[in-house]
Amino acid sequence: MLKEKIEKYLLSVQKPARYIGGEAGSVIKQKDKISVRFAFCFPDTYDIGMSHLGMKILYSLINEREDYWCERVFAPDVDFEKVMREKDIPLYALESLEPVKDFDFIGFTMQYELSYTNVLNMLELAEIPVLASERSDELFNIVVAGGPCVCNPEPLADFFDLFILGEGEEVNLELMDLYKEMKKNGASKREFLIKAARIEGIYVPSLYDIKYHEDGRIMSVTALEGAPETVRKRIIKDFDKVYYPKEFVVPFTDIVHNRVSVEVLRGCIRGCRFCQAGFLYRPFREKSAETVCGQAQVLCENTGYEELSLASLSTSDHSEIDGIIKGLIPYTEKEHINLSLPSLRVDNFSKELMDEIKKVRKSGLTFAPEAGTQRLRNVINKNVTEDEVMNTCRTAFEGGYTNVKLYFMLGLPTETDEDVAGIAELAQKVVDLYYSTPNRPKGKGVQVSISTATFVPKPFTPFEFEPQATREEIMHKQEVLVQSVSSRKIKVSWHDPSTSILEAVLARGDRRTSGAVYLAWKKGCKFDSWSEHFKFDLWQSAFDECGLDMKFYASRKREYEEIMPWDHLNYYVDKSFFIRENQKAMSAETTEHCRGKCSGCGVSREIGGPCFD
Amino acid sequence: MIKMRAVFEKKDRAKYISHLDLNRCMQRTFKRSGLPVWYTEGFNPHIYITFALPLSLGYESSVEIMDFNMTEEVSEKETADKLNKAMPEGLRVLRVYSPQTKHTGIKSAEYMLTLSGDSSSLHSEFEKFMAQEHINTVKRTKRGGEKIIDLKPDTEVREICEEAGVLKILLRLPAGNEKNLNPSLITDLFKEYSSVSYELVSVERTGIFSDNGKEFL
Repeated sequence: MLKEKIEKYLLSVQKPARYIGGEAGSVIKQKDKISVRFAFCFPDTYDIGMSHLGMKILYSLINEREDYWCERVFAPDVDFEKVMREKDIPLYALESLEPVKDFDFIGFTMQYELSYTNVLNMLELAEIPVLASERSDELFNIVVAGGPCVCNPEPLADFFDLFILGEGEEVNLELMDLYKEMKKNGASKREFLIKAARIEGIYVPSLYDIKYHEDGRIMSVTALEGAPETVRKRIIKDFDKVYYPKEFVVPFTDIVHNRVSVEVLRGCIRGCRFCQAGFLYRPFREKSAETVCGQAQVLCENTGYEELSLASLSTSDHSEIDGIIKGLIPYTEKEHINLSLPSLRVDNFSKELMDEIKKVRKSGLTFAPEAGTQRLRNVINKNVTEDEVMNTCRTAFEGGYTNVKLYFMLGLPTETDEDVAGIAELAQKVVDLYYSTPNRPKGKGVQVSISTATFVPKPFTPFEFEPQATREEIMHKQEVLVQSVSSRKIKVSWHDPSTSILEAVLARGDRRTSGAVYLAWKKGCKFDSWSEHFKFDLWQSAFDECGLDMKFYASRKREYEEIMPWDHLNYYVDKSFFIRENQKAMSAETTEHCRGKCSGCGVSREIGGPCFD
Repeated sequence: MIKMRAVFEKKDRAKYISHLDLNRCMQRTFKRSGLPVWYTEGFNPHIYITFALPLSLGYESSVEIMDFNMTEEVSEKETADKLNKAMPEGLRVLRVYSPQTKHTGIKSAEYMLTLSGDSSSLHSEFEKFMAQEHINTVKRTKRGGEKIIDLKPDTEVREICEEAGVLKILLRLPAGNEKNLNPSLITDLFKEYSSVSYELVSVERTGIFSDNGKEFL
């Protein structure tokens, strides 16, 4: 039995509790009563994957069906991977402790580009051929993926049988139902894929033929075997009634986010032009305060967690946020549960909200103005003014905070050295504000941390056409920023732009980049998002050997007319809207948020009516 | 406030829960159970739980001891039942009672070692090992130095039993605040000593005792 073999070596690795399952809330079923087994794989370690909300939702959803069994699979950390390879332990699922290769579906959630090589590594550990074309035509071991990254699945096209676009709550079960039916009738994998491609939201890459111009741009995309010309993402219409788990798996080890999360809204009204999530998850939908409070209480009772988080892209944009918080506080106080509110916006951050946050986070506050000058904030449509940042910081200082962390991006379209210096000026104003606040904490200094990330242009945003700043440009900007800081109260941190460059390449890569991903992994790339494992030179040589230029994908300006690798996928927002928004960005014109005024992005047409009543 | 003590077992997959994680796990188990347990009254209130003797990662036990307080009286049986309903796989409360002795009253503990291999030759090898005049090991002191200690006077072999393919050894070792010896000290030394190859399959704590070898209650 595999379990005994695992246990034999488990004590020789770090945090073995991550590899053996058995947590409260994990679902064990009787195998002989199961018709479809789904291995839900997160292409990173347990500590990270177990914090992911989407997995919790889909895990419980599938397991509600009596004859379907969903289990969890994570990437082993380096030490355990070594043991697994040496001792011939195949990748296994944590509930049954049985090999992943025994499962009907092997489903990955693709949350960030730098996890792509982990997929390949996990498939190999599972003893499943990494390339879809090398797997057998038997209707079994269907390798699928969903999540935000599959909005441009082309760099992953060689490895997956199909992609699930949009929200999975309905389509995952439809797909499993189809499989169960066709398996009974003895169908082949190919037959299944052709049928599956007709389910809305299912994209089967092998049914699309891509032709290229000589310069590498796409010439045409042709659907084969009756697959739709464009594949439309799935959404849940009635979000208030959508399935939500009553239980979570409660890990033994301390993971990144170890708490109850209740998703309060999906989508975002803001339309920040750099933010892919803000467009991908449209339309904006909320759960009622009553639903949120009910789900929160049930989950707290069933998990025993001492922390509750309200999750969304922008929780304070919920129209009933005050009602939700007022509804939760009597319960959370009685039960000694901390309420945590991530993702608040600076423009509607009240004293009351801060008092709530303070109960959990005492260390400091984090804001993301994203850009240093008002002009550039207008370009990216981050409609936050300096006054709002200052007001929020004043509230925070008066509330006893002395640490403020400010997030910015470097390399935004149209950015000049003046904009970069503006970051330091804004931070300096926050420092000055502290010393002019009469009710500031007594006898303490202030610490303002500037944290910068390199901007990565993403598909399905108004900046999908834009070149990414080159490494040299980013290093120049970092230099300008450091030079502009004159106070010792301000700390600047930044990253090596290499990971962002790779992220940009993979985010907007075409199907040919699949080959480079494969080669990079062959050369030993994995855990690319972990700085200690990231090997840019290997990636560089992988692209070279494939005859591909990373700059073609990362730092090339695209014309509006160019066929993008993701143009045949419909995420409800029109390309013509992105072009309009791109033009407005270039003249630093802002667009109002969706609740204020519909900007005609195309979503209301797709859902057959306005997004807001 | 009513003081309570639970004896629980930690077996199978649960043996990989570290001591630190076990505390968190029990906090959540109590919360799920809905029992009226007492919270500490600090800035950051949490359920008051103390464990009598930490158990090494990977060891099983049928005698783990955990103390907690209740704010209302609930029968011992109901408390055990509600906790067991909320426990993860491998953890199970065996009984609940009001404590008679403080944790400082713990003097020794018993461990069942299971070794797989040729049981009869292993048996004689282990007897030879124990018959040495001294069984010296090096223990790190808190100040970073090293100290040689002789395990021989403190190690009591209570039982040795040959079964098909395995040898079972029941050891009693000092435990508690004054002197605490982990059975790994013995197993590590024996690993070096033994010319018969074997595998240490499991270690299970099977008893916790107070003065004069009486069961700790």
